[in-house]
Amino acid sequence: MISKEEIEKLAELSRLKLGEEEIAALQKDISSILDYVGQISALEGGEIKKEVGLNHNVMREDIPYVKENPLLESRDAVLEALPKREGDYAVVRKILHKND
Amino acid sequence: MTKLNELSIIEASAKLQAGEITAVDLARACLAEIERDRPEGTVDRLNAYLEVFTDVEEQAKQADERRKAGESHPLLGIPLAIKDNILIKGKKVSAASKMLEHYSATYDATVIQKLKDAGTVFLGRTNMDEFALGGSTENSAFGPTKNPHDPTRVAGGTSGGSAAAVAAHMCLGALGTDTGGSVRNPASFCGVVGLKPTYGTVSRSGLIAAVSSFDQAGPITKTVEDAKLIFDTIRGKDILDATSIDEDLYPKHTQKKIIGVIKLNVETAKENMDAVNSTVQVFSAAIKKLENEGFKIVEINLPSMQPALAAYYITNFAEVSSNLSRFDGVRYGLSLSGESLFDDYAKSRGEGFGAETRRRIILGTYVLSAGYYDAYYGKAVAAREQLRKEFEQTFKDVDVIATPTMPTPAWKIGEKSDPLSAYLADIFTVTANLTGNPAISVPMGTVDGLPVGIQFTAAHGDEETLFRVGKNVAGEEK
Repeated sequence: MISKEEIEKLAELSRLKLGEEEIAALQKDISSILDYVGQISALEGGEIKKEVGLNHNVMREDIPYVKENPLLESRDAVLEALPKREGDYAVVRKILHKND
Repeated sequence: MTKLNELSIIEASAKLQAGEITAVDLARACLAEIERDRPEGTVDRLNAYLEVFTDVEEQAKQADERRKAGESHPLLGIPLAIKDNILIKGKKVSAASKMLEHYSATYDATVIQKLKDAGTVFLGRTNMDEFALGGSTENSAFGPTKNPHDPTRVAGGTSGGSAAAVAAHMCLGALGTDTGGSVRNPASFCGVVGLKPTYGTVSRSGLIAAVSSFDQAGPITKTVEDAKLIFDTIRGKDILDATSIDEDLYPKHTQKKIIGVIKLNVETAKENMDAVNSTVQVFSAAIKKLENEGFKIVEINLPSMQPALAAYYITNFAEVSSNLSRFDGVRYGLSLSGESLFDDYAKSRGEGFGAETRRRIILGTYVLSAGYYDAYYGKAVAAREQLRKEFEQTFKDVDVIATPTMPTPAWKIGEKSDPLSAYLADIFTVTANLTGNPAISVPMGTVDGLPVGIQFTAAHGDEETLFRVGKNVAGEEK
């Protein structure tokens, strides 16, 4: 079974705060789900080649899309959606502090 | 006389065009049905809608004005329900999550713009599994949607609200989105029609992303003809979605009147075996009927079906964890303060996301981490490509592949508490999302009084064949 420490590490990487009870439940659930989807590791590279397939780049000229672009008039609405705002700026927490 | 809200879109459209009824009449009939027997604290008796818009009659009046001015699109004045992960400018859109409970859309999704151009009336936004993660609408932060055929059972998911609203005549048709069966699964459980178009045919601009390489918006309707009408209205290449495709990208499929069936192998708990067997019986009868009507039935072999579900879920977890990283409490959505910036993120996300969403983010982070990437995601990509090739090969010989849409009819609310057992129910629907092929679910009969659907999957770009075979099953062929 996946360890408590592993779940805590994954939660940290995922930026998720989890309670003790949920961590215990996740150890069980995630282990059984990984056991199931893990059957895919048994597939051999011989018959199944890793290919790019469906994914390919879509190139276009770097010119602004203006005609009928619904996003053009959204600037104010986007600013309205900011949880903390000063003027036209989003307020974020200071992450650098002076040494005392 | 049939109540107006019980008409199909095509029927209502003819009456509108003939001047027998108005868009306001239609809208009022739907609103009355939504309001009927509504318990305290809910929008409707099934919890199909999360919100009914206050300007519905106003929209309907405008549609009537446009008709007077000479417009005549078949969807003009038709009231539709919209899944809560599709953006309508100025309206709330929450993806049934606490994270976006108070968020309003800042622009129109391309599909919404196209429906507005046609003159559709939007009734409200419908319930779903949070961020389209689930298969029963039980993962909604705002409570499950009940099945109109038995309110103790789920409506399916993730577009459960849309399917229930159509089946209960609370709208004439609806839009859903399909990531691993999210249009077809609730259509099967609620006894209506659901179409997942070819990947790239319908723009994803303005859909709240779940799994970007799987997501497609599609219609949920009472008839196959209605599904075709909505599909024809919302399709088209879009500059705002780089994965949208040209109409002629795929070569035209030559009709053979051959249906491929797979030897069914359903992994399920013992207590579900009866329901599975009954569903397979109804399916066999539907296939027999098609055979009697002149279709040739052949058994086909798709070896890559076996690892498909594992490949699907690995890809789902990986893309979900990436897509949902945008919810940081800084730009929009729920924003909570903690001791540090890290705490702000972790608290906002920990409380904003529901249990299944948190589980999938953790799983996605796991399968994408160094050391596991090749064993999980790398293999899933390879299996997906292999399945796509097998499908391509198969459609050289058959027009459609037929399976039951779901292995059972709708289950009891709360019955599947183990997440893995819920995942296993997606066995037939996920393949079309892995390969990008179009697929439709059409009602094929009932098991213990509950509807079950038959699923047809066609070659890329060949929705026309799905409509033709679907109409045959639904008895819409003249």
